[in-house]
Amino acid sequence: MKHLDTLLLTMLQGSGVTLSLFAITLIVALPLGFLLSLGRLSKFKPLSGFIWFYTWVMRGTPLMLQILFIYFGLDFLGIKITDRFLAAVIAFVLNYAAYFAEIFRGGIQSIGRGQYEASDMLGMSYGQTMMRIVLPQAFRRVLPPISNEVITLIKDTALVYVIGLQDLMKVVDGRAITTLDPTPYLFAAVFYLFFTFVLTLGLSALEKRFAYYEG
Amino acid sequence: MKKTVLILTILCLAVALFAAGCTPATPEASEAPEETKAADTSWDDIKEKGYFVLGLDDAFPPMGYRDEETNEIVGFDIDLAKEAAKRMGVEVKLQPVVWETVTQELNKGTIDVIWNGCTITEERLEVIDFTKPYMNNKQIVVVLKDSPYQTFEDLAGKKMAIQEGSSAQKALDANKEFKDSLTEVVPFGDNTKAFLDLDSKRVDCVAVDIVVFNYYIAKGTDKYRMLDTALGDEQYGIGVRKDDDAFQAELQKALDEMYADGTAAEISEEWFGSDIVSDVNE
Repeated sequence: MKHLDTLLLTMLQGSGVTLSLFAITLIVALPLGFLLSLGRLSKFKPLSGFIWFYTWVMRGTPLMLQILFIYFGLDFLGIKITDRFLAAVIAFVLNYAAYFAEIFRGGIQSIGRGQYEASDMLGMSYGQTMMRIVLPQAFRRVLPPISNEVITLIKDTALVYVIGLQDLMKVVDGRAITTLDPTPYLFAAVFYLFFTFVLTLGLSALEKRFAYYEG
Repeated sequence: MKKTVLILTILCLAVALFAAGCTPATPEASEAPEETKAADTSWDDIKEKGYFVLGLDDAFPPMGYRDEETNEIVGFDIDLAKEAAKRMGVEVKLQPVVWETVTQELNKGTIDVIWNGCTITEERLEVIDFTKPYMNNKQIVVVLKDSPYQTFEDLAGKKMAIQEGSSAQKALDANKEFKDSLTEVVPFGDNTKAFLDLDSKRVDCVAVDIVVFNYYIAKGTDKYRMLDTALGDEQYGIGVRKDDDAFQAELQKALDEMYADGTAAEISEEWFGSDIVSDVNE
């Protein structure tokens, strides 16, 4: 293949965009999702109702549509975002926070009532119960589905081509189109597989570390 | 009492949201009559910035694409643009975008011109302006070299691949009888994928710009042949925003100079081996 060195270099640059979008999304969406899940479980109905609505919209519309809406659609509402990367980050964070919110909620709700009752008996406040008893257990429960979402995220980043961001997939697509040669796609697959391999290793190490009871 | 307070709070929020939603519209409505009186600052803005942004699909050889060795964006349109920018006293910045949303990018302001083998069509003229045409183009039908098809009639009952959102689709629509005789027209995001489908014989023909076809031939691809009858003639123009009259005038002036003094012809010879631009009816 001609000019392999240039291709690999540009693929590394594209990976930079892919990985930074990935990292920023996780760093913001995970805490946001967690807060949203707590709000969803709140007794204050308007809050819980609003978050239900939010997760319904963000999970119920395609991420690509959301990216296009944030970048192009908001203009018509008077909010003009010209930074492509910023638009992508906003769309990804809002979308993934919704998924994380539902995962955390499920994890928290799966902790049996017995735990709350026992904590109450020991005189713990709601805050102490959550921090010391419920959330640590919930954390282990949510690791597998969170891992799934994290691995999905690294591939979803390829969607940003629609607003002209030069991520790994766009770079490879451009090269394949210009040279009429589909080989670059194979290289892209190797890159994504490598990222996923590293992620899978890391996440399963995390799971093992928290598997106290499973010996 | 608590419930009442709650309901009132929600009502207030709803009203506030509704008001917030309405407000941007009103200032715009009162601004519109003023805008037509206000000066067209499009050229001044560009001069102040020191550059204009050229939006393109960076995988459309030979008009605009990435050089395999250097990864720089090059192409016939790029050279024309750089020359025009020089004459206008500004730089040109290149911004790759996605072709399907190129007019939205222009109207959004993230690019200042569309300069990428962009065909002048009525649909596009509804949302953007074009400079005068700078190059002629044809939409043609390409088949595999060893296939038996010579005319549109030969392709009755066959399948075609085409680039989504391209003027090839429009040219095909203009040939209603031919289009209706095809069993399937498969849209793809780009021409390469359309050609890959032709290679694998999943489709029997591809409708495409003659400029693209010639590029493939120049690359040494020997497996394609074009039908003698073209789908239609069209012209390339440079897309600009409807309101940017001052900027468009400057750009047109630079282009007219380049065509008059032979620079455009020179650039054409570099890219196409001959002058195929000076014959465009200005």
